[in-house]
Amino acid sequence: MVSGVSSPKKIDGEQDAAIVVEGLERIYPGGLRAVDGVDLAVASGEIYGFLGPNGAGKSTTVRILTTLLRPTGGRASVAGYDVVEQASQVRRSIGVALQEAALDPLMTGRELLQLQGALHGLRRAESKLRAEELLVRVDLVPASDRLLNTYSGGMRRRLDLAMALVHRPSVLFLDEPTTGLDPVSRTSLWTELRSLNDEGTTIFLTTQYLEEAEQLADRVGIIDHGKIVAEGTPQELGRLVGEPGLYVKLIDQAQSDRARELLTVHGAVSGRAAGGLTIRTGLGARAIAPIVRTLDEAQIEVDAVEVEEPTLDDVFLAVTGHRAEEAAEDDPA
Amino acid sequence: MSTFALERDLATQGRVITALAERALRVQLRRAQFLLPSFLLPLLLLAVIASGTSAAQQLPGFPSTGSYVGFVVSGTIMQGTLLAGLTAGIALAGDIEGGFFDRLLSAPVHRASIVLGRVLGTALIGIAQAVLFLTVAIVIGADFSGGAVGIALTILLAALSASAAAGLGATIALRTGSLSLMQNLFPFVFVLLFTAPAFFPRALLNPVLETISVVNPLSYVVEGMRAALFNSPALGSVWAGFAAGIGSVILTCCLAVWAMRSRVRV
Repeated sequence: MVSGVSSPKKIDGEQDAAIVVEGLERIYPGGLRAVDGVDLAVASGEIYGFLGPNGAGKSTTVRILTTLLRPTGGRASVAGYDVVEQASQVRRSIGVALQEAALDPLMTGRELLQLQGALHGLRRAESKLRAEELLVRVDLVPASDRLLNTYSGGMRRRLDLAMALVHRPSVLFLDEPTTGLDPVSRTSLWTELRSLNDEGTTIFLTTQYLEEAEQLADRVGIIDHGKIVAEGTPQELGRLVGEPGLYVKLIDQAQSDRARELLTVHGAVSGRAAGGLTIRTGLGARAIAPIVRTLDEAQIEVDAVEVEEPTLDDVFLAVTGHRAEEAAEDDPA
Repeated sequence: MSTFALERDLATQGRVITALAERALRVQLRRAQFLLPSFLLPLLLLAVIASGTSAAQQLPGFPSTGSYVGFVVSGTIMQGTLLAGLTAGIALAGDIEGGFFDRLLSAPVHRASIVLGRVLGTALIGIAQAVLFLTVAIVIGADFSGGAVGIALTILLAALSASAAAGLGATIALRTGSLSLMQNLFPFVFVLLFTAPAFFPRALLNPVLETISVVNPLSYVVEGMRAALFNSPALGSVWAGFAAGIGSVILTCCLAVWAMRSRVRV
């Protein structure tokens, strides 16, 4: 594993950790090793982003941590309880929103929230009150008495989140919560998740979206083929890629080939869909002056120069040797 | 576990079972796919029987029940409750395939409560079916000499029949997790019905069916209903009906809980 340096914040011992996973394995009948020796620790109050392509082992890990699947090796505890030996206590402590918001289309939002309350032991009156609070919180009061089959994807996701919060869990598991959502709904859900985290809820979030992990997570674990291949804060992981590159936009794109030829003396040059060039020199912003000088001497006019901070996609590429999207396409699991 | 903790746990599980039963009932009544086979199909069959096959009661060996509709309504209730049990299984398979089942499993509820909630919901549907079918039968000419007590006992037997059918449906759904398989089980409901004296007395079944009917617990339940409705031990035994009904509920619910444990022990 490539370590992004930091240990999880606030953890002094297991009792301070919301989630502790040691050597976790899950081998399916037939031999598919979906989770292959995962170690991780998530501090109380942290947002942990679990990033990887489809089939990397994210959802299997979440299913184990939420007691829906037994591990075939290793151990894991959530909120201080072992996921196998103390599954019932784990379930009392966690809120879960799994992929694709599995909600009954023939129930209303309010009915589903009240049912969830009953499942968590709330009395009928308590359940009604809590449902009302949560409907307000996720802005679904006007739609609360409509059947779910009339809800949009974003509304269903918000309801799913509200259901996960009915019993005020200390740890929240969200499995790809924004997959398939439009940008507005995604941003709205992010705001809600930040707000929950501010109130002290630990959030374990799986995602395929690099941007989502960067936006939300205090720390990120990158999983590929069942193993954690890198872990750290988004900034720490960014540093694994090295110094930021420079993006150079030319006034006359016809001079692009000539510019590329000249700039190779400074470092690796690649094209970009927007039409400019990206140069990785290893010097970061310090390379701006020599690059501009080189182009100026060749009478190639520069429109703009920007420092390109490495993204988690770059990290994924650096530690796995392939892009996240490529892995998702290659892996049938 | 202390007595207090045990009482609290039982109260909690009671609330869970009630909430899941409410949901089962609500969804069943909202989904035409479930409502039609459970309520409309048996009623249609009852109407056909009432209009066209009443001559059956002229057959030698056919017991005297005033009208053929009065005799056959027990079979209609049995048909309805079996179909309600099957649709309960279909709904559960839908929950498994659609992911709602995972939501139930990730909550701190006993696995048995998930099964019992579904069974209780179906029992309530069985009661609604019995009330409806008996009312229709009375409207179109049936006269039940067993009176209110007989009708009440029949409704209870209907609830047991629906519960047992739901337990069986849940068992198959939990073992297979397949919605399409569950949807293809409708013909088996009719196999169960025709191997019990649902529409004809046992004496008029052919020898093979009559032999099978001896080991089919539905035979005793449907005959128990008739005995209660007409207050006539010659038509069957109410006690045997309750024994067969309760035994079937216990057996199928145990099978469903066992299937549930096998499914979640993965």
